[in-house]
Amino acid sequence: MGKRVAICAVAQTKYESNKWQQRMQGLVWEVVKDVKEQVGLGFGPREIESSVTCSDDLFDARTISDNAITDVVGAHFQGEEKVAADGSQAVYYAVSQILSGHHDVVLLAGHCKESQGASRNQVTHLAFDPFFTRPIGLDYLAAAGLQARAYMAASGVTDEQLADVVVRSRQWAAKNPLANAQDAVTREDVMASPMVADPIREGHVYPVSDGAIAMILASEERAQELCDNPVWITGLGNCYDTFYLGERELEGNFSLSKAAERAYKMAGVTDPKAELDVVEIADQYAYQQAQVAEGLGLCGAGEGGAWLEAGGPDAQNVNRSGGMLAGNPLLMGGLARVAECVLQLQGEAGDRQVAGAKRAVAQGSTGPAGQLQTVVVLEN
Amino acid sequence: MSKNRNVGIIGCGMSKFSSHREEVNQPEMIFEAVEEALADAGITMDDVECIVHGNMELFEMVHQPDMWHALGTGTRGKSGVRLTTGGTTGATLACAADNLVASGLHDVVMAVGFEKLQEGHTTGGISNMADPLWGRKLQAGALTGTTALQMIDKFGEERAKACAMKHRVIMDEHAALNEKAHRCFNLERSFITEMMDASPQLVGELRMIHMCSQSDGACVVIFASEAKVEEWKKKAAWVHDHETVHREESIIFTEEKTTHRVSAERIYARNGITNPREEIDVFEMYDPSSWWGLHWLGEFLLLDGDEHLQMVENDEICINGKFPVNPSGGVVASNPIGATALVRVAEAAMQVRGTAGKHQVPKPVHKALASGFGGTMWSTLMLLSDEKLNLEEAS
Amino acid sequence: MSEANTEQELIVSRQILSINQTFSTGPVMGRFLIELRDNKRIMALRCSANGRYLLPPREVDAMSVTEGDEWIEVGPGGTLREYDVVYYASPDPLTGETRDVPYVIGWVNLDGVEGIAPLWHLVEADDISKIKTGARVEAIFAEKRSGTMEDIKHFKLIEEEA
Repeated sequence: MGKRVAICAVAQTKYESNKWQQRMQGLVWEVVKDVKEQVGLGFGPREIESSVTCSDDLFDARTISDNAITDVVGAHFQGEEKVAADGSQAVYYAVSQILSGHHDVVLLAGHCKESQGASRNQVTHLAFDPFFTRPIGLDYLAAAGLQARAYMAASGVTDEQLADVVVRSRQWAAKNPLANAQDAVTREDVMASPMVADPIREGHVYPVSDGAIAMILASEERAQELCDNPVWITGLGNCYDTFYLGERELEGNFSLSKAAERAYKMAGVTDPKAELDVVEIADQYAYQQAQVAEGLGLCGAGEGGAWLEAGGPDAQNVNRSGGMLAGNPLLMGGLARVAECVLQLQGEAGDRQVAGAKRAVAQGSTGPAGQLQTVVVLEN
Repeated sequence: MSKNRNVGIIGCGMSKFSSHREEVNQPEMIFEAVEEALADAGITMDDVECIVHGNMELFEMVHQPDMWHALGTGTRGKSGVRLTTGGTTGATLACAADNLVASGLHDVVMAVGFEKLQEGHTTGGISNMADPLWGRKLQAGALTGTTALQMIDKFGEERAKACAMKHRVIMDEHAALNEKAHRCFNLERSFITEMMDASPQLVGELRMIHMCSQSDGACVVIFASEAKVEEWKKKAAWVHDHETVHREESIIFTEEKTTHRVSAERIYARNGITNPREEIDVFEMYDPSSWWGLHWLGEFLLLDGDEHLQMVENDEICINGKFPVNPSGGVVASNPIGATALVRVAEAAMQVRGTAGKHQVPKPVHKALASGFGGTMWSTLMLLSDEKLNLEEAS
Repeated sequence: MSEANTEQELIVSRQILSINQTFSTGPVMGRFLIELRDNKRIMALRCSANGRYLLPPREVDAMSVTEGDEWIEVGPGGTLREYDVVYYASPDPLTGETRDVPYVIGWVNLDGVEGIAPLWHLVEADDISKIKTGARVEAIFAEKRSGTMEDIKHFKLIEEEA
């Protein structure tokens, strides 16, 4: 990229399984107020020029869910555009608003309250077509079960290893004051938890979560004015796979490999094993940590099991935030990863700080079994 | 603020628009528009890098429909972003495609808007936009008679009603020229009063005949970088600018300016347009009803008094008039909501590129304006031109 | 599409899709609803930043982009600012029930509000043709109240003495 875009401020709510005390507007306001105060800007010319929001009509049970958010982001008589996908996609789009020259400073605000509906699986069930795949009863959990089975067979990942992924997630989450699932668990606890979509156990699934995230993104010249420690977005890539699970190589990383390739090329990353100081993976389910690691090139294809066994997650600083396994709502999974990378690169990650971190990668996914993948490379 | 690089529209496609598309499912309907747009641009799917996709989920009750629709959009292996902003979705998709190309992230971006309103309940779906705690029981879809009441108060009952109906008939005359139009009634100018009186009231003086259709349909527009436009030697409609103005959640009826006027003021100021009626050659407006179409004409053109009524009364907005509005027949003719605002951009681009066929305006088109409408009176404008921006001069 | 379709029966799949929701009210809307339920009082939230009243009260005033900071009782009388006479029988999206038509929805500026902060609600009258912009109306509370907007049944037109 010729010009550069920076993230100048980040704010997240505490992630919790039921933030019943607030409407979604209250959650978004908390983080929007925070980032606006960090950079000292309101909306208007030479201030925040536009907003990108991130939410979903079905999760919010509201047509035009962003119509509920216009007031709190401050977009009355201003620009607001909603990305209805994982929040990493909102970052992708917000960057294009700035690189296009259309805006210099953009507010990004996303939210999801998984607790509002009776079941998030009822929502994701509706992502399947009404004729062939809904009648089977598919939802994102069931789709992930199919993928987990295919992936574990192909990459030699074991039930024990998945339990260890969860144990490690909780250990780091305990050091992340915003994480949802912070209680320590043992390998035995996880392995004793019931199957929910065999081979996925209850303990392998990210907890139902509510939360909101806001960020300020700015062009290179404005970023220097707005903060002392801008974090630069140096690479971006995303890619879709096809829809029917039976037509996909579920054990592989067709879309993630392409997304990573695009982002790495832009950022000049040639050896991801060696050149990334921080890695944040949106592991909705434990197996995805290893599968995504393959897709990001942290280990070779089919080597996920060996990578876990050899302590790859610790060696490559994967998910010191606790990851999505520690509880972010759908849509915020990838955006929380970007937020954690920003904190790490600003040296603001507290007890989970990676010393001297210079370059980080965040991954997010949208759709059943990771159909759409997004990769963001960030540097300080 | 100056544009990083030029972006041109090189292809437009639309599915058949109808209230009955039982013969296709959603991705199949989208594919009709994709095929037509690729053919129009003279390129193949291999040339497309990124797909932006949008609609309103609660109409069809499909969560993240871009996943299923990958079958029709051809997005496997490609980049993409899904954006939705209600009725303005199609306009937002066009803005997003422009941003994604101008940014340098992608050279060729395909915008895909669709709706299959027949698969849900349209007015029920729109009513769900109101807050569940305080507005949902009250909202009657996008139906309101307040604009009609205000215009009747301001311009007198007889003139206001006649003007709204004249607007309706002109749109119907235009729809007769557009083979893609969902509906055309062959309304006759001499029976305006009788037609209105015979049409059932929906809300106040907003009658069935004033209101847009409920359509199934998809629209696809292909945006390309200047380098690609030149490499492929395409006639392009160049994107000069776009402006999005949203407003708060509640409707309060103050004397504040409309978003339509504010979005127009901003885009004209940035692009040196001082007399839009003279400098813009054709306008594709998102007119959900004849009352709104009539009212907003004045707002978008920054008019005062009754000038916009005169423009309708003296046929100025007709396809062969001085300031043609909606030669396509507009939204009252076809309204697949998630596609509708993108159809406005497509139609404006077709006028600039000279590919509008029987509804091509009979004069040179140098500049065209397209509007999107949605949410609680949100407005998005896109300005197209037959000349690319001189970016060195601008910076 | 193949030509066979012209003769072929086209099956459509009818499905009723719904997901039960629990909407939070939060501390701001929640307080407004508690006052309706327990005290039959309509409370507006005023923003000192610009003096605007919010009805119903919400977390943020969109114009000043600040929180409201002063609760003020308003109504139950008010003046009708705008209204819609609805003839189209649309379903209530929360219950699926179709309402009897015509009915009137109005934007009521309540007594005690400084400036413009119309509350959106049903307006009833013995003769709806008497409902006009500027008409006086009064909130009628439900006997049984549960902390929802329906705790105000509707606004009733106050007929002026001839």
